[in-house]
Amino acid sequence: MERISVTARLNGMTLQFEEAAYARLESYLAEAAQALEGNPDRDEILADLEQAVAERCRTRLPEQPGPLTLAHLQPVLEDVGSVEEPEAQSVPPEQPRRERPRRLEQVSQGAIISGVCQGFARYFDIDVTLVRLVVVLLLFVSGGAMILIYGILMLVLPYAPEQPSGASIWKVPAKSREFVEFLRSKLGAVPN
Amino acid sequence: MLIDAKLAPIRKGLLEFLVLKIVGARSVYVADILRRLADTEFATQEGTLYPLLSKLRREDLVQYEWRESDAGPPRKYYRLTDAGKARLEALDDYWNRINGTIADIGH
Repeated sequence: MERISVTARLNGMTLQFEEAAYARLESYLAEAAQALEGNPDRDEILADLEQAVAERCRTRLPEQPGPLTLAHLQPVLEDVGSVEEPEAQSVPPEQPRRERPRRLEQVSQGAIISGVCQGFARYFDIDVTLVRLVVVLLLFVSGGAMILIYGILMLVLPYAPEQPSGASIWKVPAKSREFVEFLRSKLGAVPN
Repeated sequence: MLIDAKLAPIRKGLLEFLVLKIVGARSVYVADILRRLADTEFATQEGTLYPLLSKLRREDLVQYEWRESDAGPPRKYYRLTDAGKARLEALDDYWNRINGTIADIGH
């Protein structure tokens, strides 16, 4: 057995479609709905489009009474056209970002201790986790020398300026940074 | 055509202006607007026009009312709001200035 036609209500107008035509119409409307995703008037526009399709179909009704075929529907859908949103809300112009010269510095935002690893990761453009792993490995291999190296780097490397948004995940960095800055002020060395 | 493609974004941007002009002349429904534009460089389709009109309505530049039609269901007839008239005037003004600039420059 085979279904021959489907009755569709298009914004209140009833029309008969052959199966293939109905499927095509369904996919047209689904595409339109997708293109209008997020549009507050989506449903209203879809109803408008349904009505436009229905009115145009009516003028193209087959000569013999019967359901509309794909051949009837296709030119209708081409006339109505796929949904095109008017230009999207103007995108704010990209913030002119002043490129700072690449410097080896500590990045205290999101740091675990003081941001030395993050600084290295940024400088060499590699994954910070990788840097941290290497540091932890070296910690064991070097028999504690790594602690000294980290401590020196922590004191010597300047801090990168903080980005306006995004707080650090850990409470520690702020404290360690304060501590480092305190130490520096006491030592009177390495201006930041 | 090369020229055609070069100016496509301009035409797209001007469509809103033209629609405001058409709606400003007298209250129309969508098929009127399509017909008016059909033979111009700005020929467009319902798929573009309905989203544009609904945006203009959200911006309170046009409004519509339902009117019965002899054939088929009632239709939405669009007309300009006061804000729409003011916007159209401003756009007209700006367009004239641009036209003047284009005409003057290079002489």
